[in-house]
Amino acid sequence: MKGSEHLILSAAEKLQRKILGLLGRSLLFAVTSVAALSVLAILFFIARDAWPFFRDKGVAAFFFSTAWYPAHQPPEFGAAAIFVGSLLVTLTAVALAVPPGVLAAICMSDILPFSVRQVLKPVVEMLAAIPSVVYGFFALTVLAPFLQDSGKWLPGGFEISSGVNALNASVILGVMALPTIVSVSEDALQAAGRELREGSYALGATRAETLVKVVLPAAVSGVFSAVLLGIMRAMGETMVVWMASGNAAQIPKPWYNLLQPVRTLTATIAGDMGEADQMTGSAHYHVLFAMGLSLLVISFLCNLAGEWIVTRQRKRLRGG
Amino acid sequence: MHMRTRRFLDRAFTSAACLAVGLMVLFLLFVLGPIFVKGAGAYVFMGTVEHRRMMLDQFDRGNEERVTAEWLDVQQARRPVYEALSAFEKELPGLPAARRKELKPAFKAVREGVAELLGPEPGEPLPALTRKMYGQTRWTKAQEKLKEIRFEESWDYSAGAGRKVLTSRQPLFDGTALAPLFPLLERDARKLLRPRLTFYPRFLTDVSIDAHFFGGIGPEVLGTMYLALGAMLIAVPLGIIAAIYFQEYAKEGPVMTFLRSCVNTLAGVPSIVFGLFGLAFFINTMHVSSGKSVLAGALTLALLVLPTVIRSSEEAIAAVPRAYKEGAMALGAGPWRTILTVILPAALPGILTGIVISMGRAAGETAPIIFTAAVSVGKMIGPTEIASQPTPALSWNLYNLCTEHEAVNEIRHVQFGMAATLVVIVLALNLVAILIRARVARRLKG
Amino acid sequence: MTDTVKQNVEAHVEARGFSVYYGSQEAVKKVDLAIPSCQVTAIIGPSGCGKSTFLRAINRMNDLITGCHTQGELFFDGQNVYSGDVDTAVVRRRIGMVFQKPNPFPKSIYDNVAYGPRLHGSYSRRQLDAIVEESLVDAALWDEVKDRLEKNALGLSGGQAQRLCLARALAVKPEMLLMDEPTSALDPKATARIEELIVQLRGRYTIAIVTHNMQQAARVSDMTAFFYEGNLVEFDATKDLFTRPREKRTEDYITGRFG
Repeated sequence: MKGSEHLILSAAEKLQRKILGLLGRSLLFAVTSVAALSVLAILFFIARDAWPFFRDKGVAAFFFSTAWYPAHQPPEFGAAAIFVGSLLVTLTAVALAVPPGVLAAICMSDILPFSVRQVLKPVVEMLAAIPSVVYGFFALTVLAPFLQDSGKWLPGGFEISSGVNALNASVILGVMALPTIVSVSEDALQAAGRELREGSYALGATRAETLVKVVLPAAVSGVFSAVLLGIMRAMGETMVVWMASGNAAQIPKPWYNLLQPVRTLTATIAGDMGEADQMTGSAHYHVLFAMGLSLLVISFLCNLAGEWIVTRQRKRLRGG
Repeated sequence: MHMRTRRFLDRAFTSAACLAVGLMVLFLLFVLGPIFVKGAGAYVFMGTVEHRRMMLDQFDRGNEERVTAEWLDVQQARRPVYEALSAFEKELPGLPAARRKELKPAFKAVREGVAELLGPEPGEPLPALTRKMYGQTRWTKAQEKLKEIRFEESWDYSAGAGRKVLTSRQPLFDGTALAPLFPLLERDARKLLRPRLTFYPRFLTDVSIDAHFFGGIGPEVLGTMYLALGAMLIAVPLGIIAAIYFQEYAKEGPVMTFLRSCVNTLAGVPSIVFGLFGLAFFINTMHVSSGKSVLAGALTLALLVLPTVIRSSEEAIAAVPRAYKEGAMALGAGPWRTILTVILPAALPGILTGIVISMGRAAGETAPIIFTAAVSVGKMIGPTEIASQPTPALSWNLYNLCTEHEAVNEIRHVQFGMAATLVVIVLALNLVAILIRARVARRLKG
Repeated sequence: MTDTVKQNVEAHVEARGFSVYYGSQEAVKKVDLAIPSCQVTAIIGPSGCGKSTFLRAINRMNDLITGCHTQGELFFDGQNVYSGDVDTAVVRRRIGMVFQKPNPFPKSIYDNVAYGPRLHGSYSRRQLDAIVEESLVDAALWDEVKDRLEKNALGLSGGQAQRLCLARALAVKPEMLLMDEPTSALDPKATARIEELIVQLRGRYTIAIVTHNMQQAARVSDMTAFFYEGNLVEFDATKDLFTRPREKRTEDYITGRFG
């Protein structure tokens, strides 16, 4: 072997290495930027196709009118009912999913033995992995007939006209949000640390007291971000609400009547694009992009809120 | 508080928490149970002679001699049915007007029911639609049809909510030439259709015939595979390179913080918005294809799974012990060689886990491909048509078959078969990921 | 202190006013030290005294740590390792290193040893086989692993893994070996085998070993350097330093009064 190979590079070699290194580095950086900045491209192109709608029809009617008649002459594009539908379904789903989700997370992190937890992890993962269209199919073929029949068992023999309604969609969305809430909350609870728990047990607290008064408050920001992620998952879901919510562009009367059909932003985009004439760039086409833009902005805001919570928590931990 | 109440509260809390976990497991079983049980029915079922005839005609499968012989036997057995029908048809004009008016619609329903059950009457011209050329191919469905022939369905609204009422048609036809038909159908149904346990594994790969009335889900499975593999082919190199950059090269600073939060934000974009973007950018702006295509769909799905691939690869790379890197460096390996020969191989299982899970996600997603790749009816497409042709896909066609299909109730078995197939594909991919992880955990232990 | 080096032995590594900083903190302070060729030099001192930092500076492993920079000169074979035009890959090939914790790659035993040769040249399979065998024999591991060269190296015991790391370092035919507390993660038996090896390798390689174990330094080394708070306090022949230390601080340390 060239035992006493020279340590010093020649000038040409040095230049060559410098150029190659720089080239490799910039190539990596370029690819990384493309991957990361695609989200800006998404924002730009959705906004570009949403802009003609806002320019021509204005903002007020879109957000505040409930008159959604895209096929009329002249068409009306009041999306207020659709926004309310999205909100109603999302909030109901999260409200249904958070209590069992957080409780299940507590159970998995603090109550069950390690071996059982190893079995349950895949269960949570499977719940998260089932495709949304399969959940939608389940909602339509199994849950909807069940809901429709269940009316007569309720007191007052009360009639459920259709099994596809806001409640059906919310229940299924809740199930879909559950794995996110469980796994993120569980991580937060685990991160709270053993010392904290031991400190509380050492003072004679029961397990429930330890968990509720000491561990949960310590993990609260993690649980919050779990809830936020759950909201994002439910808000952005398309197939389930399209198949199970009934798709009527109306605000239920009274507004909390979950047994009436509603329509959401995502389902409207999915369902109407076929009718909206894309080639001529009709208002109907552009209004769907306006809805997409609204969804995008909402998800950005949720993300910002999530990051804010995380940084605040980090600061609090650092600052004591 | 008393010790006793405290202990009670503790127990209550523990049980509530365990209940929540139980609820979750129950949900999973409640969703998967019916889908697997009924979905299996697409592959294994009681098939009638009509199924065997159809397979012979349409797919050229089965023993021709045996099916023909069986068909002759069945025709023999069915003769009394058709004799009863034609005898009654001759008798009908001679009946009193009131009776005639009463019986005519019922007879029409019975006759149509028989045609649906057993296929077109012998001697009639062959119908244009394939679905009408055969009787019921599946025994469970045939039994439903039998019931529809024997009973009239009506709704009773006297109790407020509607209630289904079934009335037998047999008494109506007492004393006419049609009367023997009902006991015949009830007693000899098995002889008329010859149900037999049938395995149909090629449901997975067969093309569908006449809008999924017969045949399998081959084009959908193929389309899903194209889309998922295509998406991974695009997303994996991008994702791994980005992960390497983030983990090994990036110096912390505002640019990196920004790029990182971009990736996080991308992970939160609703799937339908990816679909809109695919339509607006890949198809309407870049014109990767003149309309929907597998390529446009794969590109869109690739963006959707990109954050997952980046994150899991980053985690895997970060988990590689620093000592490996130092060891390679100390032997004189440059940063590139270190990454390629030591860090990536060590991180590979973790990276693979992320890839496999993302692939499951890409296979199951529907919303991003609605505007970019999916069509409801289509043939199997070849690898050369990827850039130009749209494709059916399991996810989209499941939606389509259970909502927009012309006869949603007639093809339940196909819907369940499709749902089960999709779930099995996705869960199998997840299982692979779990196994890889378990292997790695075992290897690290010792 | 360079005057304490015996003049008849050629210095293989020579530090002149050499300092290492982590950010603004000076971890090694203006050290002058000449490590003689083909001898074993032990570097001792309490933890945090900069002995590891100095060792890792010799083959520029500290480059991996962000914010780490140096001042002064460090010559290897007469060339300044920190001049701007140096090829670190060549530096590290000519100066091998064994770490505190055995760090075999998650590859087969064979591939671990062949890793270095494959990096620096192209060899036929037969040549590689020969290098692998020779290196494993030199590291006294050949008899234990010759039947399972294709097995994953992660299955080896701690002592075997450390000898594999030594074989891996020897496979690129370095002129010098740096050992950063190579036995601190091992049991006494495995430690003894490594020490035997060091003695065997002495004379063929220049060896610098950082250790917190003074008996070990006394057993294996020809020269010993004592570091304290980043300063080189004393550098002398091992037998002199341990019997007649010239500095008060050295005496305190080797008699166990602190550290």
